[in-house]
Amino acid sequence: MESKQSTRTICHLPLNRVEGDLEIRLEVADGVVVDAWSSGTLFRGFETLLVGRNAMDSLVITPRICGICSTTHLLAAAMALEEIVRVSPPDNALRVRNVALMAEHLQSDMRQSLLMYTVDFAHATYQGRPWYEEAVKRFAPFRGESLLEVVRETKKILEMVAILGGQWPHSSFMVPGGVVLMPRPADVRQCRVILNGFRKWYEHRILGCSLERWAEVATLEDLAVWRAAAPAHRESDLGWFLHIAHDLGLDRIGGAHGAFLSYGSLPLPRRTVVRAGGDAEQWVAAGFYDKGCLEPFTQEYVAEQVASSWYEDYEGGLHPFKGLTRPQPPEGEGFGTKYSWAKAPRYRDAAPETGPLAEAVIGGSPLFRALVDGAGTSALVRQLARLVRPATLIPVMDLWLQELENHPNGSVYQQPEPIGTGKGFGLIQAARGALGHWVRIKNGVIDRYQIITPTAWNGSPRDGVGQRGPWEEALIGVPVEDLAHPIAAGHVVRSFDPCLVCTVHTVHRGRTVSRARLR
Amino acid sequence: MAEGLSLYWMQSGGCGGDTVSFLNAESPDFITLFEVLGIDLLWHPSLSNLSHVAHEQILQNIFLDQQVLDILVVEGSIITGPEGTGRFDLVQGQPRKELTARLAAQARYVIALGTCASFGGFGADGIIESVGMQFHHKHSGGLLDASFTARAGLPVINLPGCPCHPIVLKDTLMAVASGSTPRFDEFNRPLDWYGVMVHQGCTRNDYHEYRVEESSFAERGCLFFHLGCHGPLTHGPCNRSLWNRRSSKTRAGVPCFGCTSPDFPQPYPFFQTRNIEGIPIALPDGVSRAHYMAYKGMAAAAAPERLKNRRTDI
Repeated sequence: MESKQSTRTICHLPLNRVEGDLEIRLEVADGVVVDAWSSGTLFRGFETLLVGRNAMDSLVITPRICGICSTTHLLAAAMALEEIVRVSPPDNALRVRNVALMAEHLQSDMRQSLLMYTVDFAHATYQGRPWYEEAVKRFAPFRGESLLEVVRETKKILEMVAILGGQWPHSSFMVPGGVVLMPRPADVRQCRVILNGFRKWYEHRILGCSLERWAEVATLEDLAVWRAAAPAHRESDLGWFLHIAHDLGLDRIGGAHGAFLSYGSLPLPRRTVVRAGGDAEQWVAAGFYDKGCLEPFTQEYVAEQVASSWYEDYEGGLHPFKGLTRPQPPEGEGFGTKYSWAKAPRYRDAAPETGPLAEAVIGGSPLFRALVDGAGTSALVRQLARLVRPATLIPVMDLWLQELENHPNGSVYQQPEPIGTGKGFGLIQAARGALGHWVRIKNGVIDRYQIITPTAWNGSPRDGVGQRGPWEEALIGVPVEDLAHPIAAGHVVRSFDPCLVCTVHTVHRGRTVSRARLR
Repeated sequence: MAEGLSLYWMQSGGCGGDTVSFLNAESPDFITLFEVLGIDLLWHPSLSNLSHVAHEQILQNIFLDQQVLDILVVEGSIITGPEGTGRFDLVQGQPRKELTARLAAQARYVIALGTCASFGGFGADGIIESVGMQFHHKHSGGLLDASFTARAGLPVINLPGCPCHPIVLKDTLMAVASGSTPRFDEFNRPLDWYGVMVHQGCTRNDYHEYRVEESSFAERGCLFFHLGCHGPLTHGPCNRSLWNRRSSKTRAGVPCFGCTSPDFPQPYPFFQTRNIEGIPIALPDGVSRAHYMAYKGMAAAAAPERLKNRRTDI
């Protein structure tokens, strides 16, 4: 749309409730976003802390990159070292790891949805909407009924991680070869009680139906039928989310490039009743999905570009084993050609999004395939995938806990050879999507460490050919009614569940940055 | 208790872990606590739903003394790099450290939450040149100089830990609300929470006492002698007030990494105990080496079979 110069406005939007520091610049014409730039404004430089340290120290340092998903960093770090020492954790270790990781996901999905996402529905901007009073009653910060319950229930579910690993956040209970504790059957039973208490709450408050009933929703027609079928469905948090999000048109904004990425996650124990799709060895499928076409995931295709990032330039993209991180802090306001501390990871030049929606689409969920292939990706669909992910996680967690209880004498740790020299990667699905650690070790010491986080994918700036990152792209076409408070833009960006604390410290070695070069 | 205490929560160079840990606060949860203490949360970056314009207005009102700032909580390290400019951490183009210092000057109480905000933590020796609010490692003087006192007369209250245990912040807010002055140690940590060793209350104490050592993971034994556990050297309540109501790292078999200490993260490897002839170089806090060696030799000889055979549960 060609618009008159005089109507174009640049709007700076510092965005909170995103776990970190995010500033978005929007170009608005005739009340609609026509261009967007996303800027991570903090550099933490974890490289100086990792390079030169003992290989095992990554298990203590990398969880501290992110408060809300420390367990996923721990697991990725342990798996990267396992590639080097070539050790396979025993079945019980895989069960403990998977259950702890999934408990962290439950926490993250619920806290993001109710503490960070739906609180905007209770903002005074929406006064006068027919649903506003209900939104305030449920979702208002610090007093909404649903929000108070989420505070209570998420801390309970984290008790599972403490039982299995000592504390949450920031434990280091996963090590190359397994985990450091075989929980007693009594501990496992405690975990099951906690999980099933959470399940009851989730069914009652969030879904408004049983997990089994929700699992029947496999098509768009099923979803319509489900919404009409019972008042409890409409009056659950999910029901109100769908109602409000449709009324706000969140099903019509927020599509990105239509490409999705999953590294796959949750390796199946050798002996388990849990089955993954096909003959997959992981419960969460890996893959790359682009406009209706699913391909296997190949880690060699991952590369990072810095054309728009505050680092010294290099040509094209570099695979994380070869990555370079030479910071060049911005001058002045910081919005030039380079405008973010986040790099731009690309998958064979594509800019896929990642997260619960990507997992559902790549895993072949009929409902989310129908939603994405039909009307297309939107803020609503992306947030919906997060809100209902616990429905698929909980039953599998319970099965693995039962298996743990039934194998109390199984080993949880296979001691590996000392870590010598080599390189490895640990690729998993964190709560927010694809997380990768790439490490190179020389004589037991970290020589290079590179992390690409989910938000590095979703919140990446432009690459060398000017292709926007996923949420920059998703902002195009978003209506802006109030330049001082572009609330719909917030709905779109937060549907990606941004976590900036992780993203802005792409870790890596390199040489020590010379101070002179920085100026 | 006082009514209407205003609180501004600043996140700087950190991971947000102290916030998510505080969300786990128990009996009461943090929302009820704020209600009971009459705390008016002006701003929290992860929880508030104000527009950025409304947020700006709050900051301006604080700076113009039109809004009283009773409590400033700072989470995350203060990033001063590169070369002291602070430009590795910007707020709308301006170094965040300047905003934080201006807020501290207005506040009646300043709380540094977590080890990064207290002592610099991650990055204190790195290119980001991070410092704590009023300390850099063990040395007093950080973003604010050693003589700084907040308007109510106290220096920055340091609540280290990675993350800080939620009960420690809860209690400190209660102390502030009731106008009582906590007793501090030399690093301005409240003695009620940092006057105890992490070792105290560890369920591996029986193994420690008789020097039955764990040399590999997932065993029954004490982690102090080989696996780098800092429990007997570290001041903190981890085994007095359990984590998430359930456990602690050392109980679960993860060594204590000394995360409440001004020198965290330590420069030497985490999962190893540095030792001379099998005796750790860093002994339990205040212990004499000669006596310790004699005592541990006798203790090992006196170890009962149930411990030597690792029959006693942790």
